[in-house]
Amino acid sequence: MKKLMAVLLIAVLVLGTVFAKGMTENQQTATTTTAAETTVQFDSTKEYVYKDSVSTMATNWNPHTYQTSDDSYPADFIRAGLYTFLFNDESRPVEGKEPYAGYVIVPEMAAEMPVDVTEKVKAEHPEFGIPESATAGYAYVIDLNPLAQWQDGTPINADTYVESMKRLLDPKLLNYRATDYYSQSLSIAGAEGYANSGNSVRKVNSADGEAMDYQIADLVKGADGVYTTPEGYVCYFGLNEGYAWLSGNALSLYNAYGYVPAATWEAISPLADEDGFVPVTDESIAILFGFTGSADWGFETKEQLGYYVSYDFSYPEVDFSTVGIMKTGEYQITLVLSKALAGFNLLYNLSSNWIVEPKLYDACLTESEGVWSSTYNTSVETTLSYGPYIMTDYQADKHMRFEKNPNWYGWTDGKHTYVDPYDGKTYTLYQTTAVDTQVVAEAATRKLMFLKGELMGYGLQAEDYDTYRNSEYCYATPSETIYFLILNGYKDAIESREAADNFDTSKYDLQTLTILNFRKAVAVTYDKELFAATVSPARSGGYGIIGTAYLYDPETGSRYRDTDQAKKALCDFYSIDISKYASLDDAVASITGYDPVTAKALYAEAFKEALELGYITDADNDGVCDQTIQIEYSMSSDSDFMTRTINYLNEKMNEVTEGTPFAGKIVFVKSAPYGNDWSNKIKNGLADTVLAGWSGSAFDPFSLTDLYVNPSYQYDAQWFDATTIQMTLTVNGETLTTDLRTWSDALNGTTVTIGDKEYCFGSEIADVNTRLDILSALEGQFLQTYDYLPMLQNGSMALLSQQVYRVVEEYNPIMGRGGIAYMKYNYDETEWAAYVAAQGGELKY
Amino acid sequence: MGRYALKRVSLMLVTLFLITLMCFVLIRMLPPAELPMNDPHTKVVQARREAAGYNKPYLVQFWIFLRNIFTKGDWGVSDVLYFGQEVSTIFVSKLPATMVVNLYSIVLSIPIGIAFGIWAALKKNTITDDIISTFTMALISVPSFVYAFVIQYVFAYKLGWFPFLMKQGTDWFSWAMFKSMIPAVLSLSLGVIAGFTRTTRAELTEVLTSEFMLLARTKGLTKVQATVRHALKNCMVIIVPSIFGEFISILSGSLIIEKLFSIPGVGMLYLNSINGRDYPMFMLLTVFYTAIGLVAAIVVDISYGFIDPRIRMGSRK
Repeated sequence: MKKLMAVLLIAVLVLGTVFAKGMTENQQTATTTTAAETTVQFDSTKEYVYKDSVSTMATNWNPHTYQTSDDSYPADFIRAGLYTFLFNDESRPVEGKEPYAGYVIVPEMAAEMPVDVTEKVKAEHPEFGIPESATAGYAYVIDLNPLAQWQDGTPINADTYVESMKRLLDPKLLNYRATDYYSQSLSIAGAEGYANSGNSVRKVNSADGEAMDYQIADLVKGADGVYTTPEGYVCYFGLNEGYAWLSGNALSLYNAYGYVPAATWEAISPLADEDGFVPVTDESIAILFGFTGSADWGFETKEQLGYYVSYDFSYPEVDFSTVGIMKTGEYQITLVLSKALAGFNLLYNLSSNWIVEPKLYDACLTESEGVWSSTYNTSVETTLSYGPYIMTDYQADKHMRFEKNPNWYGWTDGKHTYVDPYDGKTYTLYQTTAVDTQVVAEAATRKLMFLKGELMGYGLQAEDYDTYRNSEYCYATPSETIYFLILNGYKDAIESREAADNFDTSKYDLQTLTILNFRKAVAVTYDKELFAATVSPARSGGYGIIGTAYLYDPETGSRYRDTDQAKKALCDFYSIDISKYASLDDAVASITGYDPVTAKALYAEAFKEALELGYITDADNDGVCDQTIQIEYSMSSDSDFMTRTINYLNEKMNEVTEGTPFAGKIVFVKSAPYGNDWSNKIKNGLADTVLAGWSGSAFDPFSLTDLYVNPSYQYDAQWFDATTIQMTLTVNGETLTTDLRTWSDALNGTTVTIGDKEYCFGSEIADVNTRLDILSALEGQFLQTYDYLPMLQNGSMALLSQQVYRVVEEYNPIMGRGGIAYMKYNYDETEWAAYVAAQGGELKY
Repeated sequence: MGRYALKRVSLMLVTLFLITLMCFVLIRMLPPAELPMNDPHTKVVQARREAAGYNKPYLVQFWIFLRNIFTKGDWGVSDVLYFGQEVSTIFVSKLPATMVVNLYSIVLSIPIGIAFGIWAALKKNTITDDIISTFTMALISVPSFVYAFVIQYVFAYKLGWFPFLMKQGTDWFSWAMFKSMIPAVLSLSLGVIAGFTRTTRAELTEVLTSEFMLLARTKGLTKVQATVRHALKNCMVIIVPSIFGEFISILSGSLIIEKLFSIPGVGMLYLNSINGRDYPMFMLLTVFYTAIGLVAAIVVDISYGFIDPRIRMGSRK
């Protein structure tokens, strides 16, 4: 019995073990099956090659020295930032956003989001100079992705980051990209000092046109009469230096355009050295202040002379330990900043990377006569990738090829996936197996190759728009710039031009252009979309001062033009009665900028006013103006575009003025080719109109307001003073009235006084809705000047190959349409060749 | 002949030295490319200029230039086009593509051009001559990039016989590379063929009417024998030097053709170095082409003696 029991027990144990093992195996299989079902793997036996073309091939993609956008081309394939952007989809939804209408920022070469350790570092490392009052934004711990490695399998750890930064900032290498890490938003503590260690430079006293390193009163007069800083650095007024106080322009430029009195310039310029630096002495102070303190220059104070000062500065010898990057773990670094940075801006700045493979980097360095050169990242042999692709071929000015990097962690970490909106399935990013890029300099060749199926994209040229703009494969990409028609309103200049001997006032008139009703009439004379289609089909109609590409909230990708405030501002300007439409969107959609009935009425009204003011005559009382209103277009150089523009403006003007007192009496004419002087002609009222525009940071539409209130930038500064126009807004229940300049300054972070209280509506200070209210109100005010008539939204158009499709069709200012990561293929290479052959070798788009 | 050649080579070296010196001084007299303030590369370029002796007298600068070439083979570092890379490396990497394409072009052009020229001369004032002469004039008058576009459109796009662009890689003499070069070679050759046709026809026409040709026929030679043995040989005094002239253009490349067919050659390098004010690159190219030009001139001169034994180079009488 005992034997039987023992046998039974053994049998139970064996069966139990086998069953348990079987269960485990089954469960594992199920898990695997589940995982396999959730992420669809692309067939690894198929080849998907993205065939690209460039006009100019990269010659140096070293992250420490590259200069041009051409040189940065390989970066997307072979490198990755600490953080990256992925589309908002079902697997990583953004609250309040439709799938694929925004993006999320996720760790890439980092393992986690940065952790703010400002307080801790401030206490432990006083040498980095974190301000006593600072509690956040100055120091971050970043855990690194332990899976990251170079293409040869060498691990990328904290040492890689620290050693790379050491080489980037090495004072003897003088790397071009070093300043990216101390002179811009991401400013690493001590980086400037180490990068310039032991060097002498001439620094400007005020880098931003606001704070000064030294006040004029602090300067010390030496025995030779030359002022120095308290440390003994010699001070100069830089006549050729582009000072931030002068919006980056030099005094010599102002002199060239006649702003500086001749006597002042004749007195100060002989004191300058060959580079235009005048030592600061009592004499030079007296000469310069005699001008800057005058009414001509706006009564600047003597202290403000400090904005025109540069001084010699010697950086002390320091070692790398003074730089705010520390290895705090095998896979952890701590970054210490000299300027606070947080949120989106921090992550955005860390979406690029500075790391290099130290051994290869050092091997590529050569020294000659004390000057160092590097061949790192100039060939396949000197390139090591840590991104999704590796460089497999490079021939200068000819060809480069990238193929999948088998050592990239992203293929297996399960994080690099997306949900395809077309089939709802989850795929791994980067279906493309190789990127093959050739130099194709001629657009005509690119087009033929594209139609033959040999290129993935083709940027449309002017002659292609009629054929391809409505193609389902054509994609429009907007950019920041709005082009507006600037109308001359400088009465003094116009009067001077009319007073010239060769101006026949019996035949021509310029002054009518300054009448508000006339300007309003011009504003509604042109259908903006038709104008765009006629003169520049890649662009679209422009309606506001701020274009469609600007994001007011880069964290979610929300656009200014999509806000209710922005829509209402447009409806107000174009006199759209919102109540007549089902929605605000419908009201905005109805805007064409073209209203011939209103235009005719306004021209008739303007005619009466011009007669009363004596600008024009109607000697025979036929109700038609005797003079031709001649509007000179300030042209930099002549071109087909110019001709199309002028012809269109005249043609539509004639159509709209038909039956009005100005029928056939308003003519746009080309100016002489003014070259780079075209803008000065407009600013000084010496020409009457031009199609011009501004562009700024796509993430900061608020800063654009400065361009319309700051005389340094304004095209209309001679006839529009933003400090004289009051605007009243209700902000947080308070009714505030102040001038446009003050509103703009407050919106951009300056603390201003309104009434007897101080206000600031800058970023991270005021809530975003308040800022949008102010921005839209300012936009409305700028439009109401009729100095800027929005005409074109800048953009481009390109055809995309039938071989591929984009997961996201709508353009996103930050992510574009997802780039190579989100590119999907309709055909692999074999199928594509067969498809092209089946089409007769010539594809139809 | 040996002494003559030695003398010419010596003179060539002196000429090369003087031209190099002149170019060097003229280039250094030009204001160097402006350097933006507060740009780290400015410091690098300034340091390089300092090392190259920019603030020293021109002859000292020239001495530094020569010293670096002869002691280190250092022609300098590109300041603009290929920042930080040695100009000699860039140049050497680009020369083969230009040479191979143009070599094929010459190899194709010379026999065809001469053959058409002979044919036209033999058929002088016939419809054949008229047709050949008309085509010759048309081909000479139309710039090569016009043929290039037509060839690319017809043979690459419509017929699909050839690729649009020259193949990447350095397998210069592979079949795939040769095939990819054919559109570019054709584009370059048509004008050259026309040139040789015109020259050959003109010379041969003149020679064929000479008295010695009449003598050759009267002594019993056939027309073909007389043409090949006597007339053609005389024409070569003019044709062969023009072949060497074409050889120089082999090395200078063709800006438009290289751009259109994506040939990674030196054609655009010279122009880009001037436009970009990349002076180290410009100096290297100047010295190279000057040397090639001078060598070609010597070879042409010496070749006269071989082609026509009546011409004796360096003879004291």
